[in-house]
Amino acid sequence: MINLEGVTKKYSKDSVALDDINLKIGSGEFVSIVGQSGTGKTTLVKLLIAEERASIGLVEVGGINISKLRRGEVPLLRRQIGVIFQDFKLLQKKTVQENVAFALQVAGAPHKRIKEIVPKVLSIVGLEHKMHRFPDQLSGGEQQRVVIARSLVHRPKILVADEPTGNLDTINTEEIMDILKKINEFGTTVILVTHNRDIVNHLKRRVVTLDGGKIISDEKHGRYRL
Amino acid sequence: MISFLRLIKFALQDIFRNFSLSFMTVLILVLMLLSINTLAIIQVLTDEATTSVKNKVDVTVYFDHEATDEDISEIKGYVQSFPEVTSIKYLTREEVLEEFRSHHQDNAEIIESLDELEENPLGPTMVIKTRQPSDYQKIINSLNVPEYETLIEAKTFGDTEIAIDRINVITRQVERFSIILTGLFTIIAFFIIFNTIRVSIYTQRVEISIKKLVGATNWFVRGPYIIEAFIFSIISTAGAYGLVYIASGAMDPYIEVVFGRADILTNYFVSNIIMLVGIQFVTVLLLTIFSSLLAMRRHLQV
Repeated sequence: MINLEGVTKKYSKDSVALDDINLKIGSGEFVSIVGQSGTGKTTLVKLLIAEERASIGLVEVGGINISKLRRGEVPLLRRQIGVIFQDFKLLQKKTVQENVAFALQVAGAPHKRIKEIVPKVLSIVGLEHKMHRFPDQLSGGEQQRVVIARSLVHRPKILVADEPTGNLDTINTEEIMDILKKINEFGTTVILVTHNRDIVNHLKRRVVTLDGGKIISDEKHGRYRL
Repeated sequence: MISFLRLIKFALQDIFRNFSLSFMTVLILVLMLLSINTLAIIQVLTDEATTSVKNKVDVTVYFDHEATDEDISEIKGYVQSFPEVTSIKYLTREEVLEEFRSHHQDNAEIIESLDELEENPLGPTMVIKTRQPSDYQKIINSLNVPEYETLIEAKTFGDTEIAIDRINVITRQVERFSIILTGLFTIIAFFIIFNTIRVSIYTQRVEISIKKLVGATNWFVRGPYIIEAFIFSIISTAGAYGLVYIASGAMDPYIEVVFGRADILTNYFVSNIIMLVGIQFVTVLLLTIFSSLLAMRRHLQV
């Protein structure tokens, strides 16, 4: 599903975010990518959604070489991958319903389909009763659930969550993690980027540890070891 | 088609949900258009003033009282043959005398002197008007020929020649000044509009990047801004023109006192509405679209 071969990302001569990364993630896996701040975790996410380009190496998602993707093809890739951000990245001037619908509207989905899917997805994350509210009228946990709903509307095969619980309290963190596990159970590949030790240890899934831009461990049923 | 309708919906949503920002943008556009229209008003009033002064200038040819009707008719026909001549007013000796009397009716001395004379001392006159004050010299020169020397007693153009030259100089200077002022205002307007749009786009940079991250194409992001620019251009052009029209109506009575002609500004703005509104709308539209696209370029690289 995801294949990184000899990937290096340099922002400048002295700033190497990722150094010769080799990583394969199969379909339906739940992989935690851990590491301390500045170890290249977010850069890895940015490479996967083509927000950044690798300086050297091959980045393949679903058999497509992202490094060679043309600018005009990037939106098509992003519609295939669900992304959850730590800072939510919700459109503040749009309601919950409009935020979720927007992901379908950009793809040219017909109005009827949007009207059908959006309430369904919002009910999965338990927000169907707050669909007419604006993001600033929701708690952090609720905003993150809206982001999850938005990332699910395309029924993506891959879901990338970059520190999804970074701004949340324990209860909200558990809720979000339960939703992510459910999504994974339905067959979606989940890539969780985090530095939350408890989450990783509790999951007991594959753990890839980054340090200084390099992969220092890759365990099938790993623990947070830093 | 679905996407286009969505872009219109997003644009209208953006306008109303960012109402204060939209209002400020339109306000700046209206103020800029008002400045440009003020220049148009100055231009109209200058033209009117120049025309008014030019209309007061003419060449009066005083015939010798021995000139016969045939002589006068020949000279009249000769002058009329010039394309520059717009009108010729001929006054007989009697009409000249009558006009002279009425002009000096308050001056008893002149009237008494006139009464003492047994014969009408005044000869017939011919008042000539041309298209441009600069044409008068040509007419005068054409009358300065030996065969007319004995028939024409005097020509008054010499007295107004300097005034006409001055009017021509002033007209040219005013035109030049107006062009420079219009150019300057246009440049100022461009920078103010450009920066207003830039600030507006800058405040929405996060939204733009989010739209890109959820899979929107560049044109899907740009679309609402272009439609907003279109709507802002319509509102600001109509608003500015409406205000100028109302102001013209209020100023016209005062202008009428000076130039003696009613509704000068209102007539100008009504009779040139298509040209003026068209030019202003297209200029504002291009300016806002250009500013939006330029300001957005950096934020779209996500």
